[in-house]
Order: sequence, then structure tokens, then C-alpha cells
Amino acid sequence: MDNATGLHVMDMRTDEILARRTRRQRKTALVGVILLGLVIWSVDVTVVQDTDWERIGSLGEVMEAASQFAGIDFSLFPSLIGPTLETLLIACLGTAMGAVLCVPATWFGAMNITPFAPITYPIARLMMTLSRSVHEIVWALFFVAVFGLGAMAGVFAIAMRSIGFIAKLSAEAIEDIDPGPVEAMRATGANTFQVMLYAILPQVLPQVIGTVIFEWEINIRRSAVLGLVGAGGLGLVFFRQMNTFNFHGVTSVIIAILAIIFLGEAISHAIRRRMI
Amino acid sequence: MAVLEVRELRARYSARGPEILKGISFDVEGDDFFAIIGPSGAGKSTLIRCINRLVNPTSGSIVFNGHDVTKMSSKDLRMVRRDIGMIFQEFNLIDRMSVMDNVLAGRLGYTGNLRTLFRMFPRKDIDHALHLLDRVGLSDHVDKRADELSGGQRQRVGIARALMQDPKLMLLDEPTSALDPKISREIMALIKEMAQELNVPCLCNIHDVKLAMEFCNKMIGLQDGMTMFAGPTEQMNEAKLDEIYAMEVL
Repeated sequence: MDNATGLHVMDMRTDEILARRTRRQRKTALVGVILLGLVIWSVDVTVVQDTDWERIGSLGEVMEAASQFAGIDFSLFPSLIGPTLETLLIACLGTAMGAVLCVPATWFGAMNITPFAPITYPIARLMMTLSRSVHEIVWALFFVAVFGLGAMAGVFAIAMRSIGFIAKLSAEAIEDIDPGPVEAMRATGANTFQVMLYAILPQVLPQVIGTVIFEWEINIRRSAVLGLVGAGGLGLVFFRQMNTFNFHGVTSVIIAILAIIFLGEAISHAIRRRMI
Repeated sequence: MAVLEVRELRARYSARGPEILKGISFDVEGDDFFAIIGPSGAGKSTLIRCINRLVNPTSGSIVFNGHDVTKMSSKDLRMVRRDIGMIFQEFNLIDRMSVMDNVLAGRLGYTGNLRTLFRMFPRKDIDHALHLLDRVGLSDHVDKRADELSGGQRQRVGIARALMQDPKLMLLDEPTSALDPKISREIMALIKEMAQELNVPCLCNIHDVKLAMEFCNKMIGLQDGMTMFAGPTEQMNEAKLDEIYAMEVL
């Protein structure tokens, strides 16, 4: 009798578990169907309806259009040296400027050192968000409007775009420090500036330098396209080659961009490995 | 006259939080090696941090060399902190700086911002630091980075840094808790020797009662923020210790 009741209880447990599993499977299937529907709908709106199928023509014509880029305009390379260097310098100066400008945002944005949390902390967070949520092309358009065409607009755009990332990661590094040395420095009678210099900076410096180098590497990519809106560097050449239908020239520019990106990655990798 | 007079000291970390110190009073005199003993959570760390206001007490007075620390502006407070050396349980060194720079950090209170930025300490400070490092037995490690040293060596740097301030009082917050028994005794002996030589009274948090009995001439026993014992070390006995540490057994 007892045994039978026990089995019955077991049975009920099994039923319950099975039912729960079936419910979960149905839910998963439903989510899958909804996702698939969304994908189909987006493809329809963006690709099927929004593409000029008449103009693309046959598959052969598509291949032909693409093959226009196969080939390198070697005669262009000598005139690429200047813009390549300019792109690299925009990235370097922009990153350096961003690293300097992000100091107040970092200081205000680290909860443990922010001077007056209810006001300064939100200010810092706003600065970080603003910097990162505005695209570098939009920053460049803004600074081209302010300074006119040229590399200076590019430097400022890169700097503004860099503040958010460097400040956010640096502020987080500061929030994670060991508070012991801070206490020790305060106990010697050091002022706030001295405490930051002795107890905080040495603890976060490796991480901050790593972040700045990583950002510099990204900034090389960014500065390569800024010329599209007139902010100097390789992007401007790219734009001209495209407009004059010199597709082999476009490929040459892309090769130059790839070259400096590889260079940047190699340097950044080497520095970071030596630091760790 | 007492170097340090603490009266009716009370402290809590937040307005609604529990009271950590419930009216503590004691005097530290010129040649004292004064122990604060008691179980974990008794308020020892809070008490010692109130003296140089790393923690702000809620009421009571702390008179150091005739001035009430509790009512000071932050500028005056920095002047007072220069005269109070502090040694920590976890040493609290700047790991990525050299031993020399760590010891020189003891002079920050006497150094301007610009000099701090370029680490330009005067020649006499460097002389003094070398002398102290020699005294604590680290003359071979002057240029090493602090994180290359062993625990005992790190605490020796901590001692040199505190003495670098030319302190009129030393606060020791569990200076030996992170060290093994043999090194602990060496470190306590070194601190006592240096303190006697330089005529600096010490106020020392210590949970190791044996060490406290061996090195200190006076002590107070705290339990749950209240004084359970105060007096010369000779008056301390097993029964009183049992009373102080009763809570820990439960």
C-alpha cells in the first residue's frame, strides 16, 4: 500500500517535470519562429524592396562591376605617402589629445575620487556617453564646419570620440584600486593631488596605457575614413578616386589603409606585450 | 603631560548604523607603548583611525599635543597628520615604486605639489631615508620595487616610511597580523627599539595578546566598542582576558 502510494507520487513528479519541459520547448520554438519572421521581414524591407534590381542586372554584370576594382594603380602610390602619414598623425594627435581631455571625465567619473558625487559623477557619465554615442564621422562633420576642411578637424573628431572609451575604462580601473595605499598616503599628511599621484596613478597606469594604445589602434581605422567628409588623410584620396571612377586607384588606397592598420596592430601588440 | 588625550570618543559609520565606539577614554604619554586589544569587530581599527581622522568620530575629543583633532579644518588636519606616523596590517606600500620612493612618500606632507610631481625630494630627505633603511636592515634593497620584497621586508619599509615623517606619535594598526610568528616578534622588537630611540610614543592595535603583554606597558581592552580594561600591562590577567574575549568564544 505504502509502496503503491510512493510510486504514484513518483509518477506525478515525472509528469510534472515532463510537462514543464514540454512548455519550455514550446516557448523556445515560438521564440525561434518569431526571430525567423523578423529576419525575413527585414530582408524584405531593406534588400528586396530597397534595391534597384533593374540596375544591377544579371549575375554576370554584378561580377563585372566588382571586377573593376581588381587591379592596382601603382602610379598613385607616390602621392599616397603624404595622406598616409597624415592619417597616422591624425590618429596619434587625436589619441594624445583625447587622453589629455579625458582626465577631468576620468576624475569626475570614478565614484571613489569624484569631488562631489551627486553633481560631478553625472557630468562625467554624460561626457562619456556623448563622446561615444556620436559617430566619428558626425564629430568630423561638426569640426569641418567649425575649422573648415583639413586635418585639424580630423584630430579634434578623433579626440572627442576617444574621450568616452579611455575615460570609462580608466575610471573603472580607479574604482577597482586597493584603497590601502590611499589611506597610507592620507595618513602622511599628503593632500588630494599628492594622494592621486602616489596612491592612485601608479596602480592604474599600466591599465590606462594599455587602453590608450588600444584606442590609438582603433583611431587609425577611424582616421582613414574621416577624409570622406573632408577631415584630411587617406579618406579624401579615396573619395577622389571613387568620384573619378579610378577603381584601381581605390584599391591602392585600400592597400595603404590596410598597411597602416597592420602597422598599428603590430606596434600596439609589441608595446602591450612588453608592458605585461 | 599626555601626548594624546582621548575623551568619551564615539563613532558610527552612518547615521542609522550601529555605534562602533561607545565612549572611549585614555591617555598616551611620552614614553608609552600603548596596546589596544580586543576581539575582531571590537572597534580597534575604527578607534586608531579616529586619531588621525581617517575615520571621523561622531563625538568626543582627541587632543594631540594640546590641539583638538576632531574640530580641525582639513588644512590643519594635514599638519597634524604629518606628525603622526602610521603602520598598517597590509603594509599599504606603493607596489610599483621603489623602496626609496616609498620611504620618501613619508615626506609628502612637507613637500609641494610641483616637487611631488617630479619626485624632487631634498638631499637631506634622501640622506635620512638611507639612514632609516639602514636601521631597518634594508640597505641592500633601496632600489628594488616594493612588490619584490617579502612580507617582513615590506613592513620594514612601512616602518621607515612612518619614521620618515619625524613623528611625535606612531599609530600601529595590527602591524604583525600578516606576518608569521617569528617575523612578528622581530618587527615588534624593531618598532619598539626605534620608538624608544627616537622618543616616540606608540599606540598599537594588536589582537595577539602574548605580543601585547611582551611589548606594551599599558593597554586597553575593547569589547563591542566599550572599554573592558584599562591600565598597566602588569594588571592584566587571565580572568580579565577571558572577559574581553568572551564574545569571540560565543
